[in-house]
Amino acid sequence: MSAAVTVRGLRRRYGERVVIEGLDLRIELGEFVAMLGESGCGKTTLLRALAGLDPVDAGRIDGPAQPAVVFQEHRLLPWAPLWQNVALGIETPQARDQAVAALREVGLSGRETDWPRNLSGGQAQRVALARALVREPRLLLLDEPFAALDALTRIKMHDLIKDLVARHRPGVLLVTHDVDEAIAIADRILVMRGGRIAASYDVQAETAAGPAPLRGKLLGELGVTRHDRAA
Amino acid sequence: MAVDLSTKAPRAISGALRTASRKADRRPWSERELIVLSWLAPFLFALVWEALCRFGGVNPQVMPAPSAVLATAWTLVTDGSLFVHLGYSLLRAATGFVIGGGIGFGLGLLVGFSRLAEALLDRSIQMIRAIPFLALLPLVIVWFGVDEAGKIFLVSLGVMFPIYINTVLGIRQVDPKLLEVAKVTGLSLRGRITKIILPGAMPSILTGVRYALAVAWLALVIAETIATTKGIGFLAMDAREFLQTNVIVLTIVIYAAIGVIADGIARALERRLLAWHPNFVKGGRR
Repeated sequence: MSAAVTVRGLRRRYGERVVIEGLDLRIELGEFVAMLGESGCGKTTLLRALAGLDPVDAGRIDGPAQPAVVFQEHRLLPWAPLWQNVALGIETPQARDQAVAALREVGLSGRETDWPRNLSGGQAQRVALARALVREPRLLLLDEPFAALDALTRIKMHDLIKDLVARHRPGVLLVTHDVDEAIAIADRILVMRGGRIAASYDVQAETAAGPAPLRGKLLGELGVTRHDRAA
Repeated sequence: MAVDLSTKAPRAISGALRTASRKADRRPWSERELIVLSWLAPFLFALVWEALCRFGGVNPQVMPAPSAVLATAWTLVTDGSLFVHLGYSLLRAATGFVIGGGIGFGLGLLVGFSRLAEALLDRSIQMIRAIPFLALLPLVIVWFGVDEAGKIFLVSLGVMFPIYINTVLGIRQVDPKLLEVAKVTGLSLRGRITKIILPGAMPSILTGVRYALAVAWLALVIAETIATTKGIGFLAMDAREFLQTNVIVLTIVIYAAIGVIADGIARALERRLLAWHPNFVKGGRR
């Protein structure tokens, strides 16, 4: 297998506070990796460093020059019709055709000239997915992209993203704090704590007897005790 | 009679309201009905004005009736002079608007995009802006004499600042989250400006344009009162000499009408350029 991205010895500080320290990570092409962690554990900082949005203080990132990113908010340009949003930054004559095809893939064919304001939250997030996948990225970074959606829409989005990743086969890093979401869509789940990766679970191997044992382990890793869960 | 009208009319409206709400409880007023209603008050006002002049003993030298003003307008239209004066005024306003607007927009872009340009220019521009531009009138006469140049200069100066300020503001207010999108989609610098920053700044810029149009008129009214032989302002000054109150009122009405039309154009521009904006959705809310 070839790597979508390799990270070695990554360090990131905000002033005195060390957010990421000596982090190593490798994601294969076609592999879906979910990153769990408590708020402020540095998982979003890691994603932004991989996306090239924030600088790093030390370490190496070997990966594509520009990974595709889907943020928690859809971040569509309100003044551009959907196809222009999807084709943003693509300057070939086929840009529109590619955008229309990508919109079809996320189930929004016929909406290419519509405005973002006419979309529901789930639809807008699907356009954001189309915008990411239309550039056939080697690495796809998802920063809690389904966190703001309602439960039913989220389940549909999980199926959609799994299909899309299976078809396009980028390496995926999903940052989330939703344990069930991670188990539902990832191949491998990492837990980040104290600025580095504290645990790694192979989802298929761990869920042979159902998802409950893995769920329990992950909640334990995240500091959610039995008592908390009962309450 | 006039008193009669003004007391009956509101009752008639509320009566219509009541029957409408009884007939169909949920049906709101249609767009067209609301537009007709919005013209009711000005129309009644004109009617009362006419009545007061005819039967209320108002001296036409003080306040001519609307019909007299209309008759004056017709005379000036038929001898063609109204269009000559109107043409001069519109040309001055348009020229001043283009020059002042162009300079304001250009400086706004420069300062909006570059912190260096801001450091070099913004303070000076803000200082000049603090001057009420109409206070420059005597100086303008000394500099440019009483020719066209002085009038156009005054209009340009008035137009420049609202456009400048709103352009800078619009550019600075563009959502940084969208600029991150520009980065992760590999958008070029040109694309970033044309696809994200300018469209994002457009609502603010158009607010500046609307405000500038109003200022342009104001500047024109003042500018045209200094030694002029053509233009709406001249028409008013000339009429004052001969106590032709109906011409004076006519010029005021014309200034008002053109102001309304200019605002309408600005709004049409907004509707077209901001079709994406939730505030400008056709047919109201969604």
